[in-house]
Amino acid sequence: MSEPYAIDVPRGYRVGVWEVRAPIATGAFGSVYEARRTGDLIGEDLPRTAALKFLPTGTGTPRQLAHLRELVDREVELHRRLKRPRLIRMYDTLTVDDPSRPALDGATVLVLEKAERSLASLLAGTPRPGAGPLLLAQICEGLAQLHRAGWVHGDLKPANVLLMKDGSARLADFNMAAELEGTHAYTPAFSTPDYTPPEVLWSEIDERGRRIRPSADVWAFGVLAHLVLAGSFPLPGTTPAARRDAAASYASGTDELRLSPQLPDAWREIVRACLTRTHADRIDTAALLHRVESAAGTGTSPRLPRGLLPQRRRTAITVGSVLATVAVVAAAGYGISTWAGPDAAHDAKGSAAAYGASELRTDKGVPVRYRRLIVDSAHQCALPEVTPALVAAMLKAESNFDPNLSDPSVPGGGEYGIARWTPAVLRWWIRADGAPASATPAPPLTPAQSIPAMGRYLCFIGNGLKSSLPGDRRVLIAAAYRTSYKKVNDAGGVPPKNRAYAARVAHYLKEYTPPGGT
Amino acid sequence: MYSIVVVPPPTSEDERNRTQHRLAPGERITFGRTGCGADLPIAHEGVSRRAGEIGAQGAFWTLSNLSREQTYVVENPEGAGEHIKVGPGRLDAPVPFEFSRIVLPAAGDLLPIEVWAPRHDYLHAEAGGDNAVGETTAPAFSVDRTKRYFAVLAALCEPRLRGEPHAPLPTVDQVVDRLRPNWPAASRTSVQWNIDYLAVKLRLKPGPGEPDQGPRLNGKKESLVSLALRFDLVRENDLLVLTAAPTDRLGQLGRSGRLAR
Repeated sequence: MSEPYAIDVPRGYRVGVWEVRAPIATGAFGSVYEARRTGDLIGEDLPRTAALKFLPTGTGTPRQLAHLRELVDREVELHRRLKRPRLIRMYDTLTVDDPSRPALDGATVLVLEKAERSLASLLAGTPRPGAGPLLLAQICEGLAQLHRAGWVHGDLKPANVLLMKDGSARLADFNMAAELEGTHAYTPAFSTPDYTPPEVLWSEIDERGRRIRPSADVWAFGVLAHLVLAGSFPLPGTTPAARRDAAASYASGTDELRLSPQLPDAWREIVRACLTRTHADRIDTAALLHRVESAAGTGTSPRLPRGLLPQRRRTAITVGSVLATVAVVAAAGYGISTWAGPDAAHDAKGSAAAYGASELRTDKGVPVRYRRLIVDSAHQCALPEVTPALVAAMLKAESNFDPNLSDPSVPGGGEYGIARWTPAVLRWWIRADGAPASATPAPPLTPAQSIPAMGRYLCFIGNGLKSSLPGDRRVLIAAAYRTSYKKVNDAGGVPPKNRAYAARVAHYLKEYTPPGGT
Repeated sequence: MYSIVVVPPPTSEDERNRTQHRLAPGERITFGRTGCGADLPIAHEGVSRRAGEIGAQGAFWTLSNLSREQTYVVENPEGAGEHIKVGPGRLDAPVPFEFSRIVLPAAGDLLPIEVWAPRHDYLHAEAGGDNAVGETTAPAFSVDRTKRYFAVLAALCEPRLRGEPHAPLPTVDQVVDRLRPNWPAASRTSVQWNIDYLAVKLRLKPGPGEPDQGPRLNGKKESLVSLALRFDLVRENDLLVLTAAPTDRLGQLGRSGRLAR
């Protein structure tokens, strides 16, 4: 993003114990920078890194705005009074005292928990992320925590949902948040049109601001859910103004709500319950949370045998005081990718044996211990062709699910493990962040290394294959995995020497794909 | 949820509060001679039975000219003569003005129908330029700093912006005097009209027990000023509009609807 920073803070600038590092983001009211703690252990519970939010409240700034003070106060007030596991944490507030820098002097600095990225940036790179339902469940939890405490967020949107290192979601940006007074709260008259319910769009405003109800957040959640799961806004229109008009005519009853067919059935009803014409018909947050959790499969009772969870994910459970604060949701729901497609929630077992059952058949001999790796691997890739069934069919064709396969005779360094990776190639795909590993991995190659890397490589292949090639793209991708996408492009299809392999993949692909799937 | 306000031609001499028709996006209203079934009847024999139709389209509106021979002119009363013509039979011609006056020729008379589009959006002064994007948190108000209503608002806010937080508000007459150098045609009526319009534009909630409209402007003025100051709609450097040399935009055409009276 190229927009100018609302507040320009030089790298290395010191505020309290914090040293400013790189800029993270800038919003309508302030700028956020990464910071490193310098002083040693004066405040023991301060993290090593944090996000510093600078708000230009100084008297010398050209943007001296009366309402800014109020917006800042709202955010600080909320953070002081509310600490909930699904809300981003504030550690401290500071005021810059630096007369030599008039633009910074007097700025309020919020020391916030540092997140990896925002949901907006995730969606920009990966529309319809595989972890969408899980993230939505966590966002909904955040709303429920906020509403239960008697607050309204007032500006829920992807940019205000932050994703932590462990992949879990937190709500942030409480400039518009307001405490309920009876059924209403007064929020400053700012809003983000695409997430604003119709009754608030052109609502009357009195001197205290705009009256909103918690149901405004519920509407915003419905929009967000549609965006995350279907990749588009629920209301038609190519511009925010057109969508705002669509919202208005929907609310007035002249138009129907037509949700994307991409939306899974269980979620369709949830989004509908959020996007009702009037606030009175809208589902309340507690009921919403219940339905969202059941659709996301994060459920209210721990269904997952803990022993099956990959070890590294367990760390996610340690987030804050989850168990103590939220009685509604059991700990197993936190930070763990339990989602396996919309239908998995209906699975009575919901266990590893049925993981991803809607996309990968459970009765065709795919080993249960690899199901999670296979399904998650495919879900890393947004291409519709890269499915769990494809990954499984390829594993079957490559090694017959043999994790100990070792074939050092193959030219180029041999092929190893369940996915027959050539180590020099695997090096480029082994890391989850997409960066190449510093050294070529040495065999043996474990399934936990081999299978996730497949999803990343297949995605790369899928994007490299010409769209004009005839035939099943899934099979073409598999053939390119054996050779390269360039060779498949040059051959105009599966190259002759890979036809036997491609035929086997096609056979198992059919076998592993559930009826009704493609 | 309305986005367009239609004010019919005046029917009697001193009627200030004409019935306003508020249209939501997608709604339409027909106008024509009284007794011929139009939603907005016009009591004049010279008007066609079905004269035309106004359709609200989001923040703007469209005009259909249903007459056989008459051309309708849509004026921008603050546009220094800016106008568009809508010929007979033309359907759904879009009108871009925030205020418009449809002039209906009727047997030698010219009848004005006023149409306001208070939801027009304007770029916010302090934003980087991309705040039309629906992702950005934007203030709910959008004012055109070149319009008369903004000058009126600035004049109302002036004493408090000049550093006296509890200064009494200027009276309408004081506002008229303050604005007259740049707006020679300013009058009590036109200033009051702009205050009423601001209340619509800023979606001011009528205070408890306050009649929707009427001569009691005090409460309305007070609310407008506190809203404007609270949300920085008018800032100190905006007071320039009160002193700047007259320009085209504050030009020669009187606002008060000369045709209407």
